[in-house]
Amino acid sequence: MADSASILLTVFFETMSYWWIIIPSIFLGLIVGGIPGFSAANTIIILMPLTLSMNLEAGLIFMVSLYCAARMGAGIPAILVNIPGTAGAAATPLDGYPMTKAGRGQQALSITFVASSLGGLLTTVIALATMPILARVGFYMHSVEMIVVMLFGISLIASIAAQDMLKGLIAGFLGLMIGSIGTDVVYATPRGTFGFLELYDGVPLIPALVGLFAVSEAFVIIEKRLIITKEAQAAMASPSWHATFEGVQIALSRWWHIVWTSLIGLVIGVIPGAGASIASFVAYQQSRSFSKTPELYGTGHPEGLIAPESANNGVTSGTLVPLLVLGIPGGATAAIMLVVLQFHGVSFGPSLFEEQPKVGYGMFMAMFVSYLFMLFTILPLSRYMSRVTTIPTIYLAPMIISFTLVGAFVPREYMFDMYMALAFGVLGYLARRTGYHVAAILIGVILGPLLEKYFLWSLKKSDGDIMVLFSSNLGNILWVGLVLSLALPIILKWRRDRAKLVTQ
Amino acid sequence: MRPTNNEPPRMQGSELVIPVLAVAFTLYFFSTIWNSPWTAKVSAFMVGGILLTVCALFFLRFAITYSKGHANLSLGSLFSREDISSGRLGLVVTTVAYCILIGQLGFTLTTFLFLAASMLILGRGNRPVLIILSSAVISLCGWALFIWAFDTRFPRGWFETTMKAVLSNG
Repeated sequence: MADSASILLTVFFETMSYWWIIIPSIFLGLIVGGIPGFSAANTIIILMPLTLSMNLEAGLIFMVSLYCAARMGAGIPAILVNIPGTAGAAATPLDGYPMTKAGRGQQALSITFVASSLGGLLTTVIALATMPILARVGFYMHSVEMIVVMLFGISLIASIAAQDMLKGLIAGFLGLMIGSIGTDVVYATPRGTFGFLELYDGVPLIPALVGLFAVSEAFVIIEKRLIITKEAQAAMASPSWHATFEGVQIALSRWWHIVWTSLIGLVIGVIPGAGASIASFVAYQQSRSFSKTPELYGTGHPEGLIAPESANNGVTSGTLVPLLVLGIPGGATAAIMLVVLQFHGVSFGPSLFEEQPKVGYGMFMAMFVSYLFMLFTILPLSRYMSRVTTIPTIYLAPMIISFTLVGAFVPREYMFDMYMALAFGVLGYLARRTGYHVAAILIGVILGPLLEKYFLWSLKKSDGDIMVLFSSNLGNILWVGLVLSLALPIILKWRRDRAKLVTQ
Repeated sequence: MRPTNNEPPRMQGSELVIPVLAVAFTLYFFSTIWNSPWTAKVSAFMVGGILLTVCALFFLRFAITYSKGHANLSLGSLFSREDISSGRLGLVVTTVAYCILIGQLGFTLTTFLFLAASMLILGRGNRPVLIILSSAVISLCGWALFIWAFDTRFPRGWFETTMKAVLSNG
């Protein structure tokens, strides 16, 4: 115990001494996180020669800081212009963008920065303390349990579009069908590809994200001279420190909300493959289910912004747990970190904390210090970042289209992906104009291939018996949770309506 | 009971576009897997089956609402004269041209042309000097940050090749 404490203290001070790497990495991460197509994973790959030339500590700190900052950066355009930088921030604009439109963009950014930093800090500490227990979560999550977790994600679709549950379900299941495009995993039979070879690997996520959110939004915002209203423009004309601190105060007063939603992110992050997109939607839905004012969600409610941001930053610590303890990367960025650290001779697994404790603890400490630095370096920027919303849409819309469309090209270098982003843009525009939720379509596209994979595994194991879905105790507990999460909002709404009638 | 005159219809025909597209796509998807091994179709039939059911419920609800006079078949929320006056149609044309030309002309030049043309269309030709200057600055900043500084895999063309030659010789 005393040994661990002294190692932690030593690692903390050593990590702090790398401030000259952490601060530039934070700003780089904010930029790459904010532009769709430029994920932390891509940037680490692009800068891999640089990372490999650094010593182990510096390379590790660089990667971890970039990763954490990119996660936070993805929320900035989501709040300001309704375009999430990554799929993990797809739930952020649900309440962040309405706040911006109401002239409270500065407060929304402050809330995000505080919720993300505190969520990240807290989950890092908890992950460090409970690593051996958390690592076992991955062992218990088999295909059946994963299906229920996926269905949790899908159930959110109906909840997100609760004003019209049928529309929410149509959007979500259409997304799932689109996500099923590509060859099947066993016989490589092409399905729904329209004859395009580029779709054999499935629908790539970045063009879907770019089209559904960025392109469609750009075509909608040109109807107004500015994104924000005239009253909001007057409020934004003179950004003040007061608005920044008001956001901080709003976030801190909801500290308990930050705590439990970031814990959702931590637990989901531990499950390999689940990721920030599922975590943020699960946290949003759970936050709304247990809220006393669920009707405010979607209108610019701070708690609707805190939940997905705390959760997706909680995922960052969660993904490191299976990587360090089991040697299983929880996501793309963790997989790249594994490659870089293996290059430096680090071997992962249970023995890591005995043989190279400084590396094991160092990764979490780098995360802890990065979030600490972020809290103080990024917060003052909210005052200036929110000015983006005062740019006239005739300039903003073409910029959004050009930089995001080319972002769709980057991951695979196919021109086809730009056309696909355009097609998703048309779909997104139709959806926005007719009251279907684009986030519901996107979460379907994300979950489609995963659901099919786990569904097939389960059926294979049971020789095609569908009852396998109810064969595990943990799975059954999750099923009950799923049904409750669907039924609770309906019951609570019914009770509220009844109470209103009684008081009238 | 018919709605009163001052009560607008609640549902519009445009709301049927997404479900119709969903049904068409699902049926096309089924046609591509009809003769495939069961592993290729079991999940799609499950998801597609639920989607078709939900769409059928939506159509039924629309039909009932329509018969009560609370819905119409208008596509007003999708297409209007405003699409031309706001420059949306022009932006669609420049966006498609951007996708077509970027492979040949490269990122910087195409982005400059796209930004200038789109901003001029949306701004109805006002402030052309400011628009052309800002388009040039934005596309050059994009080149400097993404291609020159980070060597990102953006489409390359005449401008990028020339600048690479100039910088490597300079």
